[in-house]
Amino acid sequence: MSIHIKDVSKSFGSFNALSNITIDIPTGELVALLGPSGSGKTSLLRIIAGLEEADSGVILFGGEDMTRIRTTERKVGFVFQHYALFKHMTVFDNIAYGLRVRPKKERPSKKDIQEKVNELLSLVKLEALADRYPSQLSGGQRQRVALARALAVEPKVLLLDEPFGALDAKVRKDLRRWLRRLHDDFHITSIFVTHDQEEALDVADRIVVMNEGRIEQIGSPEEVYDHPNSPFVYDFLGNVNLFHGRLENGKLLNGQVELDAPGIDSAENRPAVAYVRPHDVMIERESTAKDAVQAKIVHIHVVGRTVHIELKTQGLEQFLEAELTKERYGELGLKVGEDVFVRPNQLKVFIPEDYSI
Amino acid sequence: MAGHVPLSYGSRKTVKKAAEEPLFIRVFLTVVAFIFLFLFLVLPLAAIFIKAFEQGIHVYLAAITEPDALAAIKLTLLVVLLTVPVNALFGIAAAWAITKFDFKGKSLLTTIIDLPFAVSPVIAGLVFVLLFSTHGLFGDLLFANDIKIIFAIPGIVIATLFVTLPFVARELIPLMQSQGSSEEEASLTLGAGGWKTFWLVTLPNIKWGLLYGIILCNARTVGEFGAVSVVSGHIRGLTNTMPLHIEILYNEYQFSAAFAVASLMSILAIVTLIFKNMIEWKANQHG
Repeated sequence: MSIHIKDVSKSFGSFNALSNITIDIPTGELVALLGPSGSGKTSLLRIIAGLEEADSGVILFGGEDMTRIRTTERKVGFVFQHYALFKHMTVFDNIAYGLRVRPKKERPSKKDIQEKVNELLSLVKLEALADRYPSQLSGGQRQRVALARALAVEPKVLLLDEPFGALDAKVRKDLRRWLRRLHDDFHITSIFVTHDQEEALDVADRIVVMNEGRIEQIGSPEEVYDHPNSPFVYDFLGNVNLFHGRLENGKLLNGQVELDAPGIDSAENRPAVAYVRPHDVMIERESTAKDAVQAKIVHIHVVGRTVHIELKTQGLEQFLEAELTKERYGELGLKVGEDVFVRPNQLKVFIPEDYSI
Repeated sequence: MAGHVPLSYGSRKTVKKAAEEPLFIRVFLTVVAFIFLFLFLVLPLAAIFIKAFEQGIHVYLAAITEPDALAAIKLTLLVVLLTVPVNALFGIAAAWAITKFDFKGKSLLTTIIDLPFAVSPVIAGLVFVLLFSTHGLFGDLLFANDIKIIFAIPGIVIATLFVTLPFVARELIPLMQSQGSSEEEASLTLGAGGWKTFWLVTLPNIKWGLLYGIILCNARTVGEFGAVSVVSGHIRGLTNTMPLHIEILYNEYQFSAAFAVASLMSILAIVTLIFKNMIEWKANQHG
């Protein structure tokens, strides 16, 4: 079932949690709402679920207006950040809850409920723990129970609020891969909230980057990562190096360096900032182009297969971060204190908004 | 290996906790606590029972089966039956409203709930006399409709309700605050309405706290003296509760009878304590 969010706004007192949010989500898509805390992503999710009411705007499920429909009638599956399992019920009873509370006419028979719950238990691989209480489960197991409980009512829409936020790194990775596979099997339109860019890039079909109650960018993981449309998105999705300078003849002048500023021609003689990802910073022994900057290696950290190198540019005394593969690092034979040349392979120039009137 | 030093010698010192006090201080403090408990709790309690049975079991039985005593016991039980459920319901409703919703006057409600703790029970009783006696604010209205509140059972119930109002609510508010509303929200998204959510999710989560509050409320209801004394009028066989009955007997120098009824109340208190401890133990197991 498709979800359409039209012009939704919400404020808490004088704080604008959401302003004019519009998102269209086609049936079967897995969308990540990505943003820092306070960006309004959880409020939006709660408004979609009906747990919170929007001040203005409309929520449509498959073309049907849901704005005034109560949570109980919306048929959404909601997975809470801290699981919100019923403490006093076993795993089995937790999963069966949504079926048992249906009005008598719509309630499945005891046998059907039993079958359905067992089916879900095997889906989340918790058959052996059906009689346990939530307090006897690990974080990852609790989250799987929460997911099974949400799926039991066969929701048209699945909403997940920071589903892996409280789990440790290893479990988190396994669970999100598993969620992705689950989504590929069931094709329930799903929205999940996260502040972890890696998680969003890894799992989602599409990412909605939010900041201060507004949408910064909507796009596929590749789009938002490779072509961020704002400094915020650049900064939020991964590490970034900044080159401050002035624009002249389509180039960004930064001390002795000239950087190509693609896509910016109209703005002349303005302060601007170039954004370069660490893995787009090339390190060379010899200066091969005029956009190469001489720099001294300050630190070298080897983290698994990647090597992080901190550099200090000559003249500007600016710190840069570069990421190399171990192979490339070996080829170059870099050592701390050596002078090398760095060159941005790919960059994006933004003119600070304060100056662009 | 030559020169190997067994680690266990050194590690022995670490067994002792840094915060642990020397033995004599621990013994001293424990003994002081026990002496204090004995002098101020066990001894008076024992004295009640000794005094109660001083003139034999016959006097004891006569004292607690005499019509006025029976009337006092019945009245006390009636007050409990009326007060405790009402305050339990009020406590749940108030705690629910305070912890699950945001509304204007929320802090006012929280303050009002605490009021009976702050006000002396005698003053609480006087307030109701001022409101409902024949010369009181609603006196004419009540007289015209032939409704008696002061010096009658309704007055006793109202005064007791007032005094015991905070017990359940005060027990539930911090509990429900710490639990938050996410389980209720989960229940709503799963299609359960407000009523089902309350019965299936909220109530099971608060049941031990609720029971604990009810027991405290019950103990106070049985033992309330000040407020009830002001509104009851001390009419024997009609408006005397157990504490009032004990006081009358005592003032009439019927010590054995007074202590006999007092011993009944003490038994009730001990049973309440045992219940309270069992519930705390249960609650800890589930928490």
